[in-house]
Amino acid sequence: MQDPAIQQAFIRLVNEHRGMLYKVCRLYCFTEPDRQDLFQEIVIQLWRSYASFRGEAKFSTWLYRIALNTAISGLRKQQRLISPTDPGQLPTELQDIQYPAEKEEQLQLLYAAIEQLSEVEKALTMLYLDDKSYLEMEEILGISQNNLRVKMNRIKEKLRKITQAVTYGIGKS
Amino acid sequence: MELESLKYIWHSLEAPPAREPDHGALLALLEKRSRGPVARMRRNLIGEGILLLVTYIPGILCYWLEFDGRLSAISWLLALLALLFFGYYSRKYRLLTEMQCVTSPVRSSLAQQVETLKKYTRFYLRAGTGIIPLTYLLSYAIIRWKLPAPPAFYHRLHPTPWWASPAFWLILLVPITIGIYFINAWYINKLYGRHIKKLQELLQEMEAE
Repeated sequence: MQDPAIQQAFIRLVNEHRGMLYKVCRLYCFTEPDRQDLFQEIVIQLWRSYASFRGEAKFSTWLYRIALNTAISGLRKQQRLISPTDPGQLPTELQDIQYPAEKEEQLQLLYAAIEQLSEVEKALTMLYLDDKSYLEMEEILGISQNNLRVKMNRIKEKLRKITQAVTYGIGKS
Repeated sequence: MELESLKYIWHSLEAPPAREPDHGALLALLEKRSRGPVARMRRNLIGEGILLLVTYIPGILCYWLEFDGRLSAISWLLALLALLFFGYYSRKYRLLTEMQCVTSPVRSSLAQQVETLKKYTRFYLRAGTGIIPLTYLLSYAIIRWKLPAPPAFYHRLHPTPWWASPAFWLILLVPITIGIYFINAWYINKLYGRHIKKLQELLQEMEAE
């Protein structure tokens, strides 16, 4: 699939959804090099599967499936896979973004809380925060809607406790 | 903090960074090879297959063309082994291809990976263990068939029944095969054990009510 028009269309789609890809990378990797590895792997997997995308599912559903499958089982956790000279080749938008101090603090709080969740819980939380319906979540994750609701309630409770603990921890230090 | 209030922070991440997306860098990514574990396993397998061809083909040709054809049986043995290895590699390659199912829902993708990886390791263990006694027996058969029989006076000096020698080699083969089985099992577990366990745990977590 070397057709430049197809490549351009693909890159346009990736760019449109780069916010989501970036979030997956932030969620599953704690260091910048690991995030870059994961981003690279997700884009490669998306590109390899692009020819088989027939529009049976929504593009975002297809994208989430590939991104989460790659993040959850495709890469071994926190393993550097590309050489230190490679990051220069990566898209600039993935490099660290500086937010205002207040927002940065909130983000740190959010990530500190999510970091303590399991890989499956992270996926569920991400879809929930992205306002996905339970039907869409089912299509992406393959878990029944009833089971998703049960899990989501548990996660909400877990996150409530974690954020309380994290906030308390921040306040103390 | 409630999950609902985290939504506000989460959506603020949607704001695109000020910098323009780098199309060139994304385009360069499309040319890169996957660094995922399955892709690397597939590449290693192709490398092993090429190494097999590079080492076996000259061996087969050498024993076939040299020594006035007296050792052609060895070239047949090598060709048979190469064929067995080819079957072994192609089966492993097919299983690895099955394992790459990133477009399926996460749960079915995990289930498929666990099932295929288990099949892969079972096949690895059985074929990796079985090929040793098979080679051993074939080599023994060729030696018996090709080597000239000892002179008759030797039999008179050392009277042994006809079955003694094959029985001795067969008995020797049993501990060797068992040893190889355990070494293979240990090695396969070292290579894939943790990965299978992690995938199973993820799957269990997804399926748990």
